[in-house]
Amino acid sequence: MLEAFEILTTSGVVLWSKSYAPVGAHIINSLINDVFIEEKVQIQAANAAYPVYKKEKYTLKWKKVKEFNLIFVAVYQSLLHLGWIDKLLDNISTLFIDIYKDQLRSTRVRVVEYPFDKYFEQQVKELEDNSAPINSEGVVTGAENKKDPLVSSEHGGPPPPSVPGLIQGPGGRVSRRARKAANAGANVSSGDESIRKGKTPKGGKKMRKWDADGYADEDDGTVLDYSAPADGDEAAAPAVEAVAQDSWGHRTGKGQFVLKDLGDEVHSILENADSEKAKNRATGIVGSGFNAIGGLFRNIVGGKVLTESDLEKPLKAMEDHLLKKNVAREAAVRLCDGVQRELVGKKTGNFQSVDAALRQAMESSLRKILTPTSSLDLLREIDTVTSPTSKQQSPRPYVISIVGVNGVGKSTNLGKICYFLLQNNYRVLIAACDTFRSGAVEQLRVHARNLKELSARENVGQVELYEKGYGKDAANVAKDAVEYGAANKFDVVLIDTAGRRHNDQRLMSSLEKFGKFAKPDKIFMVGEALVGTDSVMQARNFNQAFGTGRNLDGFIISKCDTVGDMVGTLVSMVHATGIPIVFLGVGQHYGDLRGLSVPWAVNLLMK
Amino acid sequence: MGSHADWRSIGGIATSLLDGNPIAIAITAFIAFGLPVLLHLIFYQTVASPPSSNFLLLGPSGAGKTAFLSLLEAKSSPLAKKQTQLTHTSQTSILTTVSLPASVPTASNRYRSVNDPSLKDTSKNPVKYRVRDTPGHGKIRGPHGISQLSSMSDSKDSKSKLRGVIFTVDTAALSDVEVLRDTASYLYDVLLILQKRALNKGKSSLKVASEIPILVAANKQDLFTALPPGSVREKLEAEIDKIRKFKSKSLMDASVDASMGDGDDDILGSSDAQDTFSFKLLEDEVGVRVDVVGGAVKGDEGSDLGSGVRKWEEWIGQCL
Repeated sequence: MLEAFEILTTSGVVLWSKSYAPVGAHIINSLINDVFIEEKVQIQAANAAYPVYKKEKYTLKWKKVKEFNLIFVAVYQSLLHLGWIDKLLDNISTLFIDIYKDQLRSTRVRVVEYPFDKYFEQQVKELEDNSAPINSEGVVTGAENKKDPLVSSEHGGPPPPSVPGLIQGPGGRVSRRARKAANAGANVSSGDESIRKGKTPKGGKKMRKWDADGYADEDDGTVLDYSAPADGDEAAAPAVEAVAQDSWGHRTGKGQFVLKDLGDEVHSILENADSEKAKNRATGIVGSGFNAIGGLFRNIVGGKVLTESDLEKPLKAMEDHLLKKNVAREAAVRLCDGVQRELVGKKTGNFQSVDAALRQAMESSLRKILTPTSSLDLLREIDTVTSPTSKQQSPRPYVISIVGVNGVGKSTNLGKICYFLLQNNYRVLIAACDTFRSGAVEQLRVHARNLKELSARENVGQVELYEKGYGKDAANVAKDAVEYGAANKFDVVLIDTAGRRHNDQRLMSSLEKFGKFAKPDKIFMVGEALVGTDSVMQARNFNQAFGTGRNLDGFIISKCDTVGDMVGTLVSMVHATGIPIVFLGVGQHYGDLRGLSVPWAVNLLMK
Repeated sequence: MGSHADWRSIGGIATSLLDGNPIAIAITAFIAFGLPVLLHLIFYQTVASPPSSNFLLLGPSGAGKTAFLSLLEAKSSPLAKKQTQLTHTSQTSILTTVSLPASVPTASNRYRSVNDPSLKDTSKNPVKYRVRDTPGHGKIRGPHGISQLSSMSDSKDSKSKLRGVIFTVDTAALSDVEVLRDTASYLYDVLLILQKRALNKGKSSLKVASEIPILVAANKQDLFTALPPGSVREKLEAEIDKIRKFKSKSLMDASVDASMGDGDDDILGSSDAQDTFSFKLLEDEVGVRVDVVGGAVKGDEGSDLGSGVRKWEEWIGQCL
């Protein structure tokens, strides 16, 4: 059953909402953050169905209406498979827009009250009835399902609001199997939420027993869980009341009338919308000829509503342009798709051609993808760790480790970062954890010697090299280096690692151990600007190599001076992982390290 | 001929219109005087000129910008629902016209006599201003908030001139280091733009720039964990001071080598990085006024709608 349904504008104001159970505002906020703004979640557009987003125990489906900048969001529990949500989103959006067309166009969109409840309830009821044929067992399943609150509260979840849904929804029909699936889901989700390993098996065990015995095992659940009964009863009681109101309230006397009229009205609106759609499709040859001329004219004057066919050619050109800039194909396609989704159905501005509109949209989406959610200030972070303000934390060195494929410039960039830190008067320890390639330690020794000399000349920070020769386990060396750094009051420990091919499982797997042993505050991956399509896989594999719960913290893109304006690797890497770019290497000297400037990168890419 | 006009033929109608027929005179007079009035009514009432004072709502995500805006909107509209609206993270900015309550005095009132009849008029004809709400999410505050601020503050057009910036802050979450850092760095960027503008104006033209004041609206004072405005001020000052110090030391952007030269005055406050930063100092040296005022968009249940934002509205009134 539905938990909540909200209609909100892209500017963030909720125009109308209906909730059957308290759903925290953060659920929808995270949908907006993850899907619309950060685009972390890849939307796989299954045919005709609306995209799905899962958060905690809820599943969200949404529909965006660009004409009015509205988003319709339906929230329901992930345990339930509601087939009619798509239909509901469709119908509700048609209805809402049809009924409140005028208010939505006026300037007072956000102020007006929308008495939409009755339409909504009518729709929900109708769709539910259609999807779940009434069976004689209705009451029985209802009674059974009352047990569910107890079960799910057993797993520490919030008080279960799903009862009305289970009674009304398709849950009644497929009761046993659905509930099995549902319970499995609950089990998994509780495991996800709290990684307390001690509890999960217990819950699972109980669960299995309960399943095996069938649903007659009600007492078992109540006895084992001491806190639940009061809670469960409380939750169950109002829920039953709610059901009575929702589904039976209309059937009494006057209610019947209201329902019927409403149903007719709603149906006529929906039919109108359908027939209009059909008409649009059928306008055929005469209309299209006229449209073509109008379209040409509009292309010059602007004010044209963009369709997919308008965008096809310029988008292809844009994709080629991006590919020429060394953006990986996957990233380019995704960017173009995103822009297309954004532009279809939009009106171009006055005297704006399709190309210009496309360009503008592409620029803004590039800017969006490159801009980090929160900017990284490395010096500040180092300071908070090395000299913490609160008494509880003891000062410790800040650990940065650098990973990457062979020959991308890990040691060089480590040298550059070290130089930058030395300029800011830090004591830096360089740990040579490349115990594999011959000459790696010597290379770092040269860097350390040079930097020591430079810093001594300018009278800034201090640097030291920590080395344990070749053949040792890198993770252990890293751990020792961090301990040594802590004992000798170093501010920063920079760890160099061996280069490894990102598709070599054997080499990549040792990274997880490395991450656990050295516990770096920041893991930067060095990628070269020269690399093309492979950058996506590199970034992805390295990002996953540290195991669950640990990701990369940033990219350093080296050799930017050698590619000119073909800086597409920046986009490819961020696209693959959503991890920001921290530094760019722009030359051979120690000082040639730069922060990323988004306008600069976007300019180069669009040139 | 006059009274027996032939209305059936065209010639007859023309003739009767041109002779001294009283009906014709009446119709002509009506059209001649009525049309301008009609046109005035149609065009001036539908396209009332938008008020020329603009305010910009900035602040990190979740600080209450959209909620504040919809509260103002609800207050200025007579048939709005009397409850605070739910809001979610914004993706786009909105521009809307709201009116100042009659009880809030405006700054221009001090030039009026106590007996000025227009003072009494304000209850019927409230002062209107425009507010632009911007999304505060880190990824999109650049294109919306920051660029909006720089374009509005530099614009010569009186229609889009900026009167003030309202920077909302979630005081309940400010004790968290991450939130504080994010808030402060956003505020730093905003202040930097205003400082550049103030300094540029001083150089280029002799005309004293009308400075844009900033209100740091310490929102969510109704919550138990909220910091008082004074403490918010201190925290923000200390944090901005830190940011300032680190900014001066940190790496250059990749774009810098393309246009060397303007790397001088992009540090907030005095060029001497040894001074500790404070809003007071900023006002003295650059002329950007910063006020920190507490308030709450969502007030107590019992109290009047929007009583928590009264102080902010007074500040807005002082800018008009």
